[in-house]
Amino acid sequence: MTNLRRLKITLTDRKTITACLIILNLLSLAAIYSSLHQAGEFVGAGLLHKQIIWIAISWLFLIIFSFINYRFYFDLSYVIYGVNLFLLIAVSIFGKTIMGAQRWISIFGITFQPSEFSKLAMIVLLARFFSQPQKNDFLKSFLLPLGLVGLNALVIFKQPDLGTALIIFFLFLAMGLASRVNKLYFVGLVALGLIISPFAINSLQDYQKKRLMVFINPNIDPMGSGYTIIQSKIAIGSGKAIGKGFLAGTQNQFNFLPERHTDFIFTVISEEWGFIGSIFLLLIYWLILKKILQKAKNLVDPFAYFLCIGISVLIFLHVFINIGMTLGILPVVGLPLTFLSYGGTSLVINFILIGIFFNICRQK
Amino acid sequence: MKVSNLSNSTTLLKKIYIAGFGLLGFVLFFYQIINGQYYLERAKNNYVRLLPSRAIRGSIFDRNNEILAYDRAAFNISVIPYQIKNKKVQLFNDLSSVLGYEPAILYKNYNKNLRSLFSPVNIIEDIDKMTALKVKEKFEDSVFINPEPKRFYYQPWESAHVLGYIKEATANYEVLKKYGYSPLERAGFLGIEQYYDAYLQGQDGAISVEVDAKGKIVGFLGNRIPVKGKDIYLTIDSRIQKIASQSMEKKRGAIILMDSNSGEILALYSQPSFNSNYFVEGKNINKFLTNKASPLLNRAIQATYPMGSTFKPILAAAALEEGKLTPEKEYTCSGEFRLGIATFKCMHAHGKQNLHEAIPHSCNIYFYNVGLALGPRLMSKWAKRFGLDSLTGIDLPYERKGLVPSPKWKQKKLKTNWFAGDTLNFSIGQGFINSTPLEVMVAINVFASDGYLVNPHILKRVEGQQGSTPASKTYLGLKDTDLNIIKKTLRDTVKQQSGTAHLLDKLELNISGKTGTAQTKGRPHGWFVGFFPYENKKYTLCVLLENGGSSYAALKVGYKFLNEMKEEGVLKND
Repeated sequence: MTNLRRLKITLTDRKTITACLIILNLLSLAAIYSSLHQAGEFVGAGLLHKQIIWIAISWLFLIIFSFINYRFYFDLSYVIYGVNLFLLIAVSIFGKTIMGAQRWISIFGITFQPSEFSKLAMIVLLARFFSQPQKNDFLKSFLLPLGLVGLNALVIFKQPDLGTALIIFFLFLAMGLASRVNKLYFVGLVALGLIISPFAINSLQDYQKKRLMVFINPNIDPMGSGYTIIQSKIAIGSGKAIGKGFLAGTQNQFNFLPERHTDFIFTVISEEWGFIGSIFLLLIYWLILKKILQKAKNLVDPFAYFLCIGISVLIFLHVFINIGMTLGILPVVGLPLTFLSYGGTSLVINFILIGIFFNICRQK
Repeated sequence: MKVSNLSNSTTLLKKIYIAGFGLLGFVLFFYQIINGQYYLERAKNNYVRLLPSRAIRGSIFDRNNEILAYDRAAFNISVIPYQIKNKKVQLFNDLSSVLGYEPAILYKNYNKNLRSLFSPVNIIEDIDKMTALKVKEKFEDSVFINPEPKRFYYQPWESAHVLGYIKEATANYEVLKKYGYSPLERAGFLGIEQYYDAYLQGQDGAISVEVDAKGKIVGFLGNRIPVKGKDIYLTIDSRIQKIASQSMEKKRGAIILMDSNSGEILALYSQPSFNSNYFVEGKNINKFLTNKASPLLNRAIQATYPMGSTFKPILAAAALEEGKLTPEKEYTCSGEFRLGIATFKCMHAHGKQNLHEAIPHSCNIYFYNVGLALGPRLMSKWAKRFGLDSLTGIDLPYERKGLVPSPKWKQKKLKTNWFAGDTLNFSIGQGFINSTPLEVMVAINVFASDGYLVNPHILKRVEGQQGSTPASKTYLGLKDTDLNIIKKTLRDTVKQQSGTAHLLDKLELNISGKTGTAQTKGRPHGWFVGFFPYENKKYTLCVLLENGGSSYAALKVGYKFLNEMKEEGVLKND
């Protein structure tokens, strides 16, 4: 009887999340469609079609991965990590020459971002480490994962992709703190991080430094990075309670906001659907996160537990940081809004993660 | 281990998520509900307008400080779309009647340049200053004079492949934005403009103002002053560059002149060429893009050709070094060489030949024998050592490298064995081997620079940086005696009556060199690679004529080039 009841609940979990994802897909397409308008004219049919195809591909991946036993990744975690590191290094080596070559063939076919794949690799790797029984083994359960994750984050940081590097660091912290590894290690790490951060800031790229400065005071560069934040705030604020309506966002339509179909897609939704729409969106995300955490709580297998933690943390971080930066309460670090931003790789990876979660739900 | 021990962290995470989303919700409430009206007013009535001010790009000078490229001021007439939205038709009609333009041109430019309703859009581009001022006077606040720097090249045809051109980054924005370009920023494409873009580009600035619904400026938000890019100085001599382009007449191919010891490129010209200024304007460029002869291709560094007989001195040096040949060793040339059922031919029946005769006569039969004695593996090894299978590292984008075959390579790529016939072809620079003219030049230059593989380069120095770029070169470790023998045979190739490059002796420049006629599909390619003066090597020259028919055609181009240089007095005196 209990088994039956449980099965029923898990099915509902999956259905709920599926419904949430469909709503997010529709919201995403509507927002991208709207953002591709300029002064009332639709100018980006190509991008919209591309995104529709990406959504279809993502669902396909979700279904496939929901049938692959998640335990499989336990054994494969090192291989996945290795592949991921290889891809990252390949990109950092060929990136420059490809830049030249691509000038010729322009945007030809699919562009793949290994840094997105990295997030998945990190979750799997950390889930493996932290689900091992050792409790206070400094070397094996703290230093080794820190080294592997750190190496990965460093390569990404050098790309340069500060946002993803930070995400990976926070992922490590959150999953580690959720584990039974001595918390003091992580506290120590954060303390160390705070001490060396002034030096780290020095090694940032010029434009990254500028973004940090602009975060503190957008008006020092109202033309460059600050411009985006000012415009983003105007767009969001002017949406007021119920928004200006679909396709009626003037900030968006009059081309004030760069990157508005990618990193700044939230401003489009917020301007057109207002406070109500924004809160509705947050609630959808909250529902997904809640379902994942609830499931995690009842799991028997620690590996599955940490996978769930990792997936939820990743989604939360993206949503929080992305919306936070459009609101000007966090620096502009260049992260997509999960499930909503235009772009293929991020969407596929996130759907794969949900697919993995669905498989965890399937197991008895 | 039971998960239940851990599960209170899910409760904690839940709380963190609620706190995070709560914070976002609170800020949203603050912006949208409490201050919503304020932001709505700002969105409605106050617009931020960006008046971009383009950075002046660094100029490019040649080695004698002659200017090759600089930014001139182009005067554009622009409008703010939002401001003229109700009177566009009237305004455009008036403007076109005042200036005598077709209104269609104005609309075309308007649509092409429209980026945002609130930033200036150029509708008339690049007119003279007086006309611009007249227009401004007549139309007052409806139009703006928008001066912008525009690239201008003094030798748009002659230096096109070396310099490249400038275009707005829009076309490749997806790729370029990662490197911090903004869409309207100008970026270098091809040549030095691309390779040293980081030095040249400078940083665009902008004035950011708030305007009201009528387009009147109501507030000043900030100003970013543009930073001028750095000037750069090249090793190119623009006079020689010009002579090079003239010497090629209408022929397809490439001509390169390099300082033998430092690797400084004095001239590098590829034909057919294109016009850099046309690409800046974006006018008349279709004929370049669709031309079957690929004028955008820099034949000196991007196209590979079989090197033909120019390979022979390298083979001879290799055989001497490996002890498979002595200078006095004779092979008899009867005009043909039988291998199984195949016959390999020579130009003449040269009779008995030793090395001192075989190079000046370019005798194939002699080198078939040398090749067989040395074997394909060692040949391959030495060809690679002469840099024929690697990039020369010249500071131009998209350099390609040639190919040096080997039995291993053939097995892997073509899945067949290496045959003796392949060795014979290889011995005279035919078959699978192919190289860029620059690679061939650098390889032959080993004999001019007393055994060094130089690194050819074009940048001499950058404004504000001390000293010029240091020359880097690799010592190949060949024996001096061997080098001297090859050098002498190369001199004889020009000096002797029967030498294949004797034509150049008339110039009295003490030239040494080697010709080559490389068989290919269609007419053969013609080569000449040489250096001078013999005693005190200063210049290395390479001429390649694509399907030029024979080496003699290349020699004639080389003759014309050097003769002109001599007459113009641009050769350095001892």
